[in-house]
Amino acid sequence: MLSLTSRVGLARTSLPIRSSIPLLIRGIKTIPQPPGYIVGTVNDAYVPPKAHKLEGSYHWTSERLVALGLAPLTLAPLLGGTSTLLDSTLSVLVLYHSYTGFQSCIIDYIPKRVYGSLHNYAMYLLTFGTGVAGYGLYKIETSEEGGVSGIVKKIYTA
Amino acid sequence: MFRSILRQSRAFNGTTTRNLATATTTSVTPRIKTFKIYRWNPDTPEVEPKMQSYDIDLNHCGPMVLDAILKIKNEQDSTLTFRRSCREGICGSCAMNIGGRNTLACLCRIETDTAKETKIYPLPHMFVVRDLVPDLTHFYKQYKSIQPYLQTENHPADGRENLQSIEDRAKLDGLYECILCACCSTSCPSYWWNQQEYLGPAVLMQAYRWLIDSRDQASRVRKEMLQNSMSLYRCHTIMNCARTCPKGLNPGKAIAEIKKQLAFD
Repeated sequence: MLSLTSRVGLARTSLPIRSSIPLLIRGIKTIPQPPGYIVGTVNDAYVPPKAHKLEGSYHWTSERLVALGLAPLTLAPLLGGTSTLLDSTLSVLVLYHSYTGFQSCIIDYIPKRVYGSLHNYAMYLLTFGTGVAGYGLYKIETSEEGGVSGIVKKIYTA
Repeated sequence: MFRSILRQSRAFNGTTTRNLATATTTSVTPRIKTFKIYRWNPDTPEVEPKMQSYDIDLNHCGPMVLDAILKIKNEQDSTLTFRRSCREGICGSCAMNIGGRNTLACLCRIETDTAKETKIYPLPHMFVVRDLVPDLTHFYKQYKSIQPYLQTENHPADGRENLQSIEDRAKLDGLYECILCACCSTSCPSYWWNQQEYLGPAVLMQAYRWLIDSRDQASRVRKEMLQNSMSLYRCHTIMNCARTCPKGLNPGKAIAEIKKQLAFD
């Protein structure tokens, strides 16, 4: 009569938490995963998440298009001059580019499956940060001479 | 025909000492090579996993790592546990991490430098059943989920085979050879972090193999299943899969082709 929890080696969770782990991380509760990651019986096929094109191919395509568009926009101020329109397009695309990049990091390292609501909080924080950065970019474009590329130029020549 | 065989055998004899997997040669100085092998026994779970050393004289051992671990199991330690079957790289059973690289023990030569020890681990980031045996249940469940079989709506009129042109058949080259040894999937960092939801290179390559099969008519359902952030798009083109594949296939390219197909879907 061996229950799963009474098996010595498997009862890892009851071991005293190592004090070398920082306090902040020790406080994080993760969702326990099924043994062997097996949901259902061993003969059932794995069930994928629900289809959602905005999270799937549309998201991927938009990432690639933005990355492609960034190349000429980054080169434009270096080769010729730039305009407010070009400069604001560049800054918006850079913002979106970093937004999707961090989004990927969060999906990879703070997955909802394990971290539950913490995943959502990370996403909210990212959205908030992107909003703040977007407002900052708006301020720069409207008040600063030459926009973002003007600032870069100033730093470079300083 | 006989002449060609003769010529072949002559060519073999002409080259340096080429051993069969089981044959051995004799030499004066022993070449002792140390193998460090991951050991863990589920019957004694309170004992931590450990690396155990075994010394092998390469003069009395076949050229492949599988020969060495079979020799260890036969002569030194019969409790050493690993999977093996065909010893010629077609069954995919003996996939393990040898010298830091996922490969098939039967296709991996023993490094002849006896000063260095060879470390052998089970496939990384998998649940270990015992010693070098990983638990591939979830991997097979994922394979099952892509429905790896022919699905057609209308059957051939003569009630016989589903025919395919030579060009359409050629599209499957480089995909059908996969033996599902899981070397690529377990070398992928994305699969390490999210293997519950990300299908991994091996399974995705098979998904692509069924997507481009000219006889298959279930493409819509097959593509639909990949349209989410986890199943396919956790691939960040790290390309460890293509580097490690013991059969020389390129799962990374297959995944890129799926992404392209979905983008224009």
